[in-house]
Amino acid sequence: MGPLSREAWAQRLGSFRASPSAFLAGAEGEDLGHDLLSDLRSEKLSELIKVSLLTLSLEYSDKLWPDALAAEAAATSLLDTLVLLPSKPSALRRLLLLAATTALVSGGALGPTSEASSRLLPLLLGLASGQDMGRSFGTTSEQRHLQATACECLGELERCKPGLLAGALGVLRSLLGQKGPIQPVSLLLALVLHNTLVVQSRFGAGLQGLLVAKDSSPGSCPWDWTLAEEWDDHLKPQAHGWPTAGEEERDFPILDPNPEDTRELKAAVAQLLDTSYLLTPVAQAQLVWLLGWALQGLRGQPPVLFKPQLVRLLGTAQLTLLHSVLSLKAAFGEALFTAQDEALLLRRLTLVAQHPALPSPTHLFYLHCILSFPENCPLGPEGEEAAPLLLGPQLRRGLMPSLLHDPMVLLARLHLLCLLCADDEEEEKGQLQGPQWFLQELLAGLQQRAAVDGGPRALATLCFQASYLVTSCLTRQPTVQTSLVHGLAQLYRARPSLAPHFVDLLDEVSPELREPLRKVLLREVVARPGKNEALRWHLQMLAKVAEGATQSAILGFLQAAAIHCTDWGLHQALLRVCRALLRTGGGEGLADLLQELARQLENADGRDHARLYYVLLSHLSSSKLGMALGPSLAAPALASSLMAENQGFASALMVQETSAPIQLSVGPQKAKGPLPVLHLQVQALDTPVYSLELRFRVEGQLYEPVEAVHIPSVRPGQPAHPLHLPLQPRSPAPARLHVRALYTTPAGLTCHAHLPPLSVNFADLFLPFPQLPKGSELCFFDELWNSCLPKGVESRVWCPLGPQGLEALVSQHLEPFVVVAQPPTTYLIAVRLPPHSMLLLRLEKAQVHGVPVALRTDDWAVLPLVGDYLRGLAAH
Amino acid sequence: MALRAVWLIRHEPGTPLGGTVKFSRRYPTVEKRAKVFNGMNYVPVPEDGPFLKALLFQLRLLDDDKDFVESRDSCSNINKTSIYGLSVGGEDLWPVIAFLRNDMIYASVPLVEQALSPRPPLISISGVSQGLELLLGVHDFLYSSQKNDTDLHSRLSQLPDLLLQACPLGTLLDANLQNSLNSLNFVSVTQPQKQPAWKVGTYKGKAQISISITENVKSMQYGKQDIADTWQVVGTVACKCDLEGVMPNVTISLNLPTNGSPLQDIIVHPCVTSLDSAILTSSSIDTVDDSAFSGPYKFPFTPPLESFNLCHYTSQVPVPPILGSYHMKEDGAQLKITVNLKLHESVRNNFEICEAHIPFYNRGPITHLEYKVSFGQLEVFREKSLLVWIIGQKFPKSMEISLSGTLTFRVQGHNRQPFDHICIGSTAYVKLNFRIADYTLTGCYADQHSVQVFASGKPKISAYRKLISSDYYIWNSKASAPVTYASLLP
Repeated sequence: MGPLSREAWAQRLGSFRASPSAFLAGAEGEDLGHDLLSDLRSEKLSELIKVSLLTLSLEYSDKLWPDALAAEAAATSLLDTLVLLPSKPSALRRLLLLAATTALVSGGALGPTSEASSRLLPLLLGLASGQDMGRSFGTTSEQRHLQATACECLGELERCKPGLLAGALGVLRSLLGQKGPIQPVSLLLALVLHNTLVVQSRFGAGLQGLLVAKDSSPGSCPWDWTLAEEWDDHLKPQAHGWPTAGEEERDFPILDPNPEDTRELKAAVAQLLDTSYLLTPVAQAQLVWLLGWALQGLRGQPPVLFKPQLVRLLGTAQLTLLHSVLSLKAAFGEALFTAQDEALLLRRLTLVAQHPALPSPTHLFYLHCILSFPENCPLGPEGEEAAPLLLGPQLRRGLMPSLLHDPMVLLARLHLLCLLCADDEEEEKGQLQGPQWFLQELLAGLQQRAAVDGGPRALATLCFQASYLVTSCLTRQPTVQTSLVHGLAQLYRARPSLAPHFVDLLDEVSPELREPLRKVLLREVVARPGKNEALRWHLQMLAKVAEGATQSAILGFLQAAAIHCTDWGLHQALLRVCRALLRTGGGEGLADLLQELARQLENADGRDHARLYYVLLSHLSSSKLGMALGPSLAAPALASSLMAENQGFASALMVQETSAPIQLSVGPQKAKGPLPVLHLQVQALDTPVYSLELRFRVEGQLYEPVEAVHIPSVRPGQPAHPLHLPLQPRSPAPARLHVRALYTTPAGLTCHAHLPPLSVNFADLFLPFPQLPKGSELCFFDELWNSCLPKGVESRVWCPLGPQGLEALVSQHLEPFVVVAQPPTTYLIAVRLPPHSMLLLRLEKAQVHGVPVALRTDDWAVLPLVGDYLRGLAAH
Repeated sequence: MALRAVWLIRHEPGTPLGGTVKFSRRYPTVEKRAKVFNGMNYVPVPEDGPFLKALLFQLRLLDDDKDFVESRDSCSNINKTSIYGLSVGGEDLWPVIAFLRNDMIYASVPLVEQALSPRPPLISISGVSQGLELLLGVHDFLYSSQKNDTDLHSRLSQLPDLLLQACPLGTLLDANLQNSLNSLNFVSVTQPQKQPAWKVGTYKGKAQISISITENVKSMQYGKQDIADTWQVVGTVACKCDLEGVMPNVTISLNLPTNGSPLQDIIVHPCVTSLDSAILTSSSIDTVDDSAFSGPYKFPFTPPLESFNLCHYTSQVPVPPILGSYHMKEDGAQLKITVNLKLHESVRNNFEICEAHIPFYNRGPITHLEYKVSFGQLEVFREKSLLVWIIGQKFPKSMEISLSGTLTFRVQGHNRQPFDHICIGSTAYVKLNFRIADYTLTGCYADQHSVQVFASGKPKISAYRKLISSDYYIWNSKASAPVTYASLLP
């Protein structure tokens, strides 16, 4: 495909710029980068179009060639195009250099293994040092122009790979003295010097004579990937942090160069600073930042070198220049700025922060600088905005806010005023027209403006932002707070439609202001029933400020308002107030009102809500109501009130699953009575548990369902609560009981927890036969013994004995069931196994390690259980 | 110390988008560094569409001001600088420098060479001042000496090329775009060593220097016992030096007559090479007494090619040039006004223009007017609710003139246009517009004979002076008025 026409390219570039991502995702997207590169070499396209192609590639190279491979190829192609340009002057050379640099850096291809990098670097260095690069780089005069561009490209490479050009320091320094455009060389030298000093100090090395000019003989390489790579590994985001004078915890060691290096360094810095007036203001500022940062890390380098520049810089109001002076101030503090210098700097800063000849963005930035002024002896906590100590009453005068200022200037100056009022708490007392008085006047003016009906929202916002600023700075000044509350109340009276702002303010301010403001606003609303629009705002306000304590007045208001609530929105607003009341107390009158609303409201939704609230009010305790209707913790960020309401109910009225609040343990069994009873002990873990209901489920339905047990309360620290759980086995087998606990927390929430399952052992089911008359025992046992067969089974089991012997074993485990005992030879034992079985044991004469047991049962199914039981006895 | 992106947006209220991006420029190499420096908190520079939307919302320039929007209107969302955080695609892009001037929004995102969380103070970010400087430079380029829309349009179309010169890789090289334009034009000239970067090329032609001093006088007059009237002079000295040679040196001295008011708050152009400490410290903060430095104010400098402001100053003259009083009282449906003006005898009574604007806000159109003027004519703009008292070229011999009148207004329900948020109730003002040629209030002048030039050829030196009123208000003494802190001090 041949090159695109001028129009086609213009259209293509236009649609790309409109939305690069959409274009690249489209059909043409993939080819754009490729087409661009190939059309740059087309002879049919005009230079103008090629310029626009290159401009685009400068701006979007990361989109056109996003990975290292593509970027490398693109840079190679751009460099080829550069070499192939005819020798006549062309605007493309500069752009091609910039584009190749941009492509390599933004695509992440720059590196020692990149072919394009190793072509670009010598080319740039050659151009920068003013070597004749041959005819393909244009005329000598054009090459001189490219010298500046080459320096800028080298600077960009150095910025992205700090330390890369450390080896070129000597060459660059010699350039500064001889030929070459002053600004590009100065900036590049300062940058490389800075980076070298920072990188070197990190690795504990010195300047090692780098500053001494060396001839760039063939074979010596002025760029150094190793340093750059090392830097990459250690690149910390704070590489260029705001330097602080005397900062203890520098994250790299202070450099201590040898005397020769020191001399050279001083000479280089002095040379750079001496000619700095030839640089544009923005470039001068960069130079000062870079050199300031660089020298800060050096021992024995007094910053006096900067001093001759300061007066000149302080005379201007140029943002970048004063900002760079402030950076020096922060870096060197007293070492460069005496107390008088500091005062002068602050004076100039105060001057430019209000100078009528400067635009407002400049004023605002300087105001910020005053509040963050790097003082020689800061008093307050670091990082917080504060008025500098030296900002005396004279200096402040011109920085006071006035209603005529635009909102941002007003807020910035108001902040300063507040900080000053906070400082002057004591001394200003009794001054009729002191700053505090002025502050109150200003707030009154703001409130008056915000009160204008139909006025722009920005004015209202400004008034509330100012109020917020004042209350957050002056929490301990009751006079200001009182007048502010009073003024805000008046504002609400004048313009209830500002209700959303009031609600927002109540949400944001500290409790010191919130409570009085809430009370005053409540009074305002209740005193002024309204219709329609005003009513809507009143209701919104009430929903925020209503509390149970002043119910009668609110209820009166609501009752009156209900008549005017004619649409859904108003119904909802009304109900929201009811809800707020429910949350904070409820009460007699509220029930009546809700009932009335449940009958009266026009729409069904409203009636339902009213009814629901009524039901809640009449069925839930007040604490539970509070929980039910309070802001939902589950979803604090939900914007919809309906959703929030649902969430609130959900958390309060639904049962929450929690971890077990109690511990349930099985106590010693007492075999008696008609049914086996499980003896349990209940203990609260951390918090009291109320209305505890324990529900049991028998695994495998081996027993009849177990009834739930209720316990009024269990508190931690109290003795365990005993619990008798009768079991009705359907067959005589051990089982597991699953337990769930339902309970109420002290906060009124109903919760639900699964407890660890309880095991009912085989022995837990053992019941004794009734007590027999003396003498008939043997006879009774024999009868039972005989009755087992033929239906049942007989077996013999070896029951191992522990060290304690047979007697102890019997008394420990089988005592209640012994019918006839003839120690130590024979024990006849009869056990009832509910529901209808029995187990008969004959323990014979004990031998060394055990005792032979003859057993009979009428239920053959228990035989394995018995075996296990007997064999396990000794272990217990 | 670099910029990630720059935008120029025209604000177009009433259109669906609220504005159009006229120009934007991104710097992928800087973006690459931002990714490294900002780490977890890195937010990419958005495309023009989403950026425009987010910016206009944050600057309250969309026409959806009607409802309270918490993310914008919340009282805790306070912006005290022209630097914003924009919510783009759910992420917080910060810092975004932006301001609106002359219907244009200038915006830029500087590189922050630190971690972004917690947000570092702006003072610690070198890119902030660089970005602001560039944007202000773009504004100056677009609007200085621009005459009409075509002119603006042609300047807009030059921006891409100029930014390629001034900021090719994101690091700003020059904020003065006029200078960048010169550098494009001087492309073939070889530059000697020591050629300042802010002066590309050299002038060829007749040597001439023009110095024009413009003083703006502001005033707030209240006519009240407990509130002091204030007034201030703000002066600007503009120069254009057409001199041959690479680095011609010029020294201009500003002089004051014996009774002149000292110049204060002097800020100079960066081309000024040295400053007397008296100039540096003379400040309106201090009370003026006889010991104050009163010149001559010497400014040695090497001029750039283009016209530039050599310095700005303020001054506190002993009396305002025109002292006025304004009484406005509501009498039922009527409004009674009296305006008295008195020209101070020391002021040159020869105006290019002198008029008093008397607007009536929040009241509706004027329906009826009866008036009497002792001098000049009154123009009535009924629909605009405005009276313009044209005083003309001279005050009468007595130096005092007066106007009195009675007005009624048509109240149309809530539509009380024109609206103003200061002039509520009886708060009202008279604003004076006047201009006097060949005159400065401070007496300040540039002595042509004391101009020293170290360059080949003797230049022709011309000097101009002008006094212009700006923000010259006389407030209704019968109602409250916005006071400045200075008015309250004894």
